[in-house]
Amino acid sequence: MSDSTIQHHEESRDVTFRVHRFNPQVDSKPYFDDYTIRLEKGITVLRAINYIKEHVDSSLTFRAFCQAGICGSCAMRINNMSKLACTTQVWDELDKAREPGVIKVEPLRNLPHIKDLVVEMDPLVGKMQKYSNWVDSKMPEEQWGKKEFLVSEEEFLAYDKATDCILCASCVSECTILRAHKEYVSPAVLLKSYRMNVDSRDAMHDQRLAGLVQDHGVWDCTHCYRCQETCVKNIPIMDAIHGIREDAYASRGSKDTSGARHAEAFMDDIEKKGKLVEATLPIRTNGVVWTLKNLLPMAVKMVIKRRTPPPPPLVKASKGIDALRKEFKEMTSHVGKDHEKKSGE
Amino acid sequence: MKPFDIVIVGGGGAGLYAAMEAMKTNPGLNIAVLSKIYPNRSHTSAAQGGANAALANKAKDDTVEMHIFDTIKGSDYLADQDAVEVLCSEAPKIIRELDNMGTPWSRMDDKTIAQRPFGGAGRPRCCYCADKTGHTILQTLYEQCLRKGVIFFNEYFALDLSVDGSRSRGLIAMNIKTGKIEAFPAKTVIFATGGYAKMYWNRSSNAAGNTGDGQAITYRAGIPLKDMEFVQFHPTGLRKSGLLVTEGARGEGGYLTNALGERFMSRYAPEKMELGPRDLVSRSLETEILEGRGFDSPAGKYLHLDLRHLGADIIKSRLPQIREMCMYFEGVDPIDDPVPVRPTAHYSMGGIDTDNLGRTVMQGVYAAGECGCVSVHGANRLGGNSLLDILVFGRIAGRAAAEECQKFNPTSIPEGELAEKEHELRSFMQPKGHYERYGALREELGHTLGMNVGIFREASKIKLGIKEIESLKERFEHVRVFDTGDIYNTNLLQVLELKNMLDLAETVAAGALVREESRGSHTRTDFPTRNDEKWHKHTIYTMEGGHPKIGYKPVTMGRYELQERTY
Ligand SMILES: Cc1cc2nc3c(=O)[nH]c(=O)nc-3n(C[C@H](O)[C@H](O)[C@H](O)COP(=O)(O)OP(=O)(O)OC[C@H]3O[C@@H](n4cnc5c(N)ncnc54)[C@H](O)[C@@H]3O)c2cc1C
Ligand code: SF4
Ligand code: SF4
Ligand code: FES
Repeated sequence: MSDSTIQHHEESRDVTFRVHRFNPQVDSKPYFDDYTIRLEKGITVLRAINYIKEHVDSSLTFRAFCQAGICGSCAMRINNMSKLACTTQVWDELDKAREPGVIKVEPLRNLPHIKDLVVEMDPLVGKMQKYSNWVDSKMPEEQWGKKEFLVSEEEFLAYDKATDCILCASCVSECTILRAHKEYVSPAVLLKSYRMNVDSRDAMHDQRLAGLVQDHGVWDCTHCYRCQETCVKNIPIMDAIHGIREDAYASRGSKDTSGARHAEAFMDDIEKKGKLVEATLPIRTNGVVWTLKNLLPMAVKMVIKRRTPPPPPLVKASKGIDALRKEFKEMTSHVGKDHEKKSGE
Repeated sequence: MKPFDIVIVGGGGAGLYAAMEAMKTNPGLNIAVLSKIYPNRSHTSAAQGGANAALANKAKDDTVEMHIFDTIKGSDYLADQDAVEVLCSEAPKIIRELDNMGTPWSRMDDKTIAQRPFGGAGRPRCCYCADKTGHTILQTLYEQCLRKGVIFFNEYFALDLSVDGSRSRGLIAMNIKTGKIEAFPAKTVIFATGGYAKMYWNRSSNAAGNTGDGQAITYRAGIPLKDMEFVQFHPTGLRKSGLLVTEGARGEGGYLTNALGERFMSRYAPEKMELGPRDLVSRSLETEILEGRGFDSPAGKYLHLDLRHLGADIIKSRLPQIREMCMYFEGVDPIDDPVPVRPTAHYSMGGIDTDNLGRTVMQGVYAAGECGCVSVHGANRLGGNSLLDILVFGRIAGRAAAEECQKFNPTSIPEGELAEKEHELRSFMQPKGHYERYGALREELGHTLGMNVGIFREASKIKLGIKEIESLKERFEHVRVFDTGDIYNTNLLQVLELKNMLDLAETVAAGALVREESRGSHTRTDFPTRNDEKWHKHTIYTMEGGHPKIGYKPVTMGRYELQERTY
């Protein structure tokens, strides 16, 4: 047995961290500080900025706790992507850096800023509360502890992956809709809502669903897949979002609501074109007036801030039209089955 | 602020269960949970392996009685037997209760809660959710607290108890987001602030904030601590970071091997092998390393945890988090390569001395979870018994406080105390001619503890450790906080945490020195055997003149007589 670590020569080099700084108590506007430190290969971004805090600038402020990718504290934007600093290798980021040897570190977006790399998490907690992100047990509280629910493998698998979420808010930070609409439910909250709704022990499915199809709810999602691409736990968030939509579609069925109209348009698109034409989707769903009033300002705002508007949000191009058609068929047949199941109960 | 009936310090498993139970006991009470991080980020989330309960789902012949015996034996007979009885008999109820409120326990084919073998247990009784057990329990409790409308003060840092003679007036804390020091007058305060094993710093599996704040606060307020010398080392910390590879990995069948390729546990625990109790397995690893059968690397000596024979499927489905951690922090995929490990400081058996209801000697002050010491773990905690401890005794403390607070008068905290605290904190920011960096002191503390008060201890080394801790305390006087702002001042917070660790480190070392025997996690090479005649008792610490004064307390016995502990 050979042990690679024994012969391993630790490679080291100078790395610059370009860190977003802002302390509302003293600064009138945010700025960047460059810290250049010598690092060995194998170090995480969190260890690096910890080093900066301990040895270079103790006022540099960020959250971190477990250092093991499980508490969700240390999410920040590293080279323009939200992720956990404690599970991100500096060397990997160097490969992605736009300017050689420089790693850009910024706070999460879409949440109010507090200081340097720290943002306010309360809005997210507020949304978890608003959308009842808890199991409302089928068992009355007085009887808790007496016997366990029986849960089949299939029932368990329905929510298993979603319970990996550590509420790090990386997906929240990257969500395209949230950038314009802070009231939007948020991907993590959709995921959690879905997790509760498919839990066989939960009793408030209908009520939770009713909340999710209101304004700022599930229908506002543009299906840009950005949240899923971001998720630090590789959770298929879009499955949850699709799941809620299917569920809503099945249990409402009516064509009058804005949500269902949106869904119709959505299904139409997939069937015909194999992709979502999000640009026309809001118009078909909400009418021209609504679109002008609500979405145009967002585009204008983004231009003013000299940000590129979100890329035309296509369903992953690699999938190909046939795969999408198939997915759509499965989805619709599933809806039918789901419906039968429910009425059969 | 209007006086509270109950203020709970800490939003981990213990704190949240206390909050829920207190609300359930009396929904009319004014209850607040205060936590220095968002509750869902608490260290409970790091527990991977699981929680023990004699549900008898897996082994039909398992009983509460066997769980009690395993726990007492595991504790090396230092646990209080009445407390252990409460722990184990409440266990099945609490696991079912969590199931009833939504914890996604892994299941068996018959749809009941799955259980797996864990170190030191006679039957497979560890209930789990893959390798994210603590995380999912904590999420469930947080969700349920949100459902119940528990009032949270998130990102508040507890500083001090306000004490009036033999009773507490409540808590003084800092709002981290504003830097403001605020009073929380309260009839009762429950400490649920978690453990202190982070004082071993780089040789610890703990989160950065497991700095024993609650223990230090109560200790300074005159409340005794208990059994502080007992710190558990987990056998399988990752070589570079100290981060943990759960015992679940061995429960699933992982091997420990040395540089000669031997499964060396056959030398130390021929029957249980890798599933021997933690203290024994940690000592075995340390011995292998000391005797030169480890691997060498720039990051220190280490051994191998080999999971390869389990196969990709089992590793992916049952140990996904572990696999991720090995890849992120060691660059090793356990499917293809053995994982480099060495023992790491993991759990604090000692803590705030409480009775079986979580009460301390001070009226209105309670403690539960890892920061408390009832004691159910004695000299060595069994894997899977800590999650259980925090849930069971968190709940009990919540109920006790809800019932007892009715008897206490409302209180208020004198303004002067806040001003004084403010002044004290500000003084850290004054420019000093010669100053110390907190980061260096923190690292040195961890190093000296690891070297001198680690797995193997002896008088001369411990004395050296005590000297070094004393000198670190002196140097601490010169620590300077460079961030002079009010908003989210983590520089200040980390300095305050360091102070707490220094105070507690002194108790750990002092206890390690007086206890001239080897019991559970405490191994004195100069006193290699257990000495029941002299040392079958708890150590008790009170602060006098800034240093620990040691006293003793008898162990509550019950059905089980002292026996030699072999596996
Ligand atoms: C890596 C790891 C794996 C583990 N695996 C297992 C396992 O498989 N099975 C098992 O049974 N046990 C396990 N344990 C042990 C177990 O997880 C802990 O003992 C337990 O979770 C502690 O829970 P707690 O509620 O007491 O404290 P914590 O979860 O640590 O919570 C402490 C709370 O107190 C708050 N707090 C602390 N200081 C302050 C302050 N100054 N002001 C305000 N708030 C404060 C924190 O914000 C936090 O909310 C493991 C431990 C570790 C480190
Ligand atoms: S898919 Fe929906 S929720 Fe996800 S980032 Fe895009 S808009 Fe947001
Ligand atoms: S869904 Fe993923 S990215 Fe979003 S909060 Fe949860 S873990 Fe983080
Ligand atoms: S510090 Fe906990 S996830 Fe990074």
